Amino acid sequence: MSRAGVRVALVPGVLALLPEYASLEDPVAELRAAAEAAVSVLGPRVRVVASDGARARVGAALVAAVGATLVAPEDADETGVLVVGNGSAKRTEKAPGHFDERAEAFDAALADGLRSGRVDVDLELAAELWADVAALGSLDGALEGVGTAEVLYEDAPFGVAYWVMTWV
Amino acid sequence: MSALRFRGHRVDADAMLMMAIVNRTPDSFFDKGATWAEDAAFARVAEVVAEGAEIVDIGGIKAAPGSEIGPEEEKARVVDFVARVRESFPSVIISVDTWRASVGAAVCEAGADLLNDAWGGADPELVDVAAQYDAGIVCTHTGGVTPRTRPYRIEYPDLMASVLSDCLGYAQRALDAGVARESIVIDPAHDFGKNTFHSLEVTRRLDEMVATGWPVLVSLSNKDFVGETLGLEVGERLVGTLAATAWCAQAGARIYRVHQVAETRQTVDMVASIAGRRPPLRAIRGLQ
Repeated sequence: MSRAGVRVALVPGVLALLPEYASLEDPVAELRAAAEAAVSVLGPRVRVVASDGARARVGAALVAAVGATLVAPEDADETGVLVVGNGSAKRTEKAPGHFDERAEAFDAALADGLRSGRVDVDLELAAELWADVAALGSLDGALEGVGTAEVLYEDAPFGVAYWVMTWV
Repeated sequence: MSALRFRGHRVDADAMLMMAIVNRTPDSFFDKGATWAEDAAFARVAEVVAEGAEIVDIGGIKAAPGSEIGPEEEKARVVDFVARVRESFPSVIISVDTWRASVGAAVCEAGADLLNDAWGGADPELVDVAAQYDAGIVCTHTGGVTPRTRPYRIEYPDLMASVLSDCLGYAQRALDAGVARESIVIDPAHDFGKNTFHSLEVTRRLDEMVATGWPVLVSLSNKDFVGETLGLEVGERLVGTLAATAWCAQAGARIYRVHQVAETRQTVDMVASIAGRRPPLRAIRGLQ
């Protein structure tokens, strides 16, 4: 998917990042800062790849937050690609999907894959673990030659595994 | 809603303010003299400021009838105290609950920012004092009763017309005297010149006061209209007070004169968030 010179970033599809869900105190301040830092390296014309409309809105909101322009697929002047996705949502008792003992290993494998630029996940297990990986498939193979991965954020603060990464 | 200003203190247009009652009286109905001693009153100020009250309303005379307190005695109760609060809490808005111009001048000299005239302009020179010191003034409706008298068989052909006419007339008098527009507040004055039915009606129709564009203050806290409505004594009226508070918050009241700051703040914040005027403090559930 990526052409030479096009930069890639990954953010989680956290709805709390949307302006319409803003609180007085930002519950995801650290994540937001990392996500905006990642998106800001993508240049002025950014395409969003996400698994559904809500996640695409998160991507679009971040693009807007850094003052970049959202572009459609096949845009000739695209400067960056923002991929929206995250790991499991079953890391703890209080996680959205409750605790699943397989979640941590799944996320660890996914993290290794992201770092190496080769995303190869068990889609059936991903669905069981409420992982949002559909858009991550577009990373697979696409990162070769795009530079090395930099991890700006890696945590599971609400029992959901988040990564903010850039490939520049 | 517009921004407010009381002397040097500016208030954002969307802010709902807690005005905490601080009595320098031996006989007020709710605290029964708990803060009569100056140090106790000062401790009360520190407590309510810590709870987030933006305004303290210092009073030297209880509203109900009782032994006569002349202007000199009233000043002795509040003026030095205002100076002490001013010195220790420079950012709090100091209101003084008085109807007397001479007391108003003395407390403004000591640093008060707002004159809360619960008695509807009984002393016509109070607006001149507010203007002279660039202080704020609360314009209440009492139906024209004499200060410190109880309502007795008072009826109104049209209560809300009387409330609006008196409050707006008072506000205009303040403007004419030179008080700044952003420093004038109106208050229906629950239970002042009003039986319980009247106080319920001004609550029910509070939106008509808000619609005038003047900022509205409500003083509901633990009052008899709550007690009579629910059959509860003083000390048992918090829940009823908060229900009335919620109603007034929905209508758009800006200032809440209260005994219980934290509980009232929670009520007002919750209503503001339901109304879509205030985001939740910190919402993540379902949005992770």
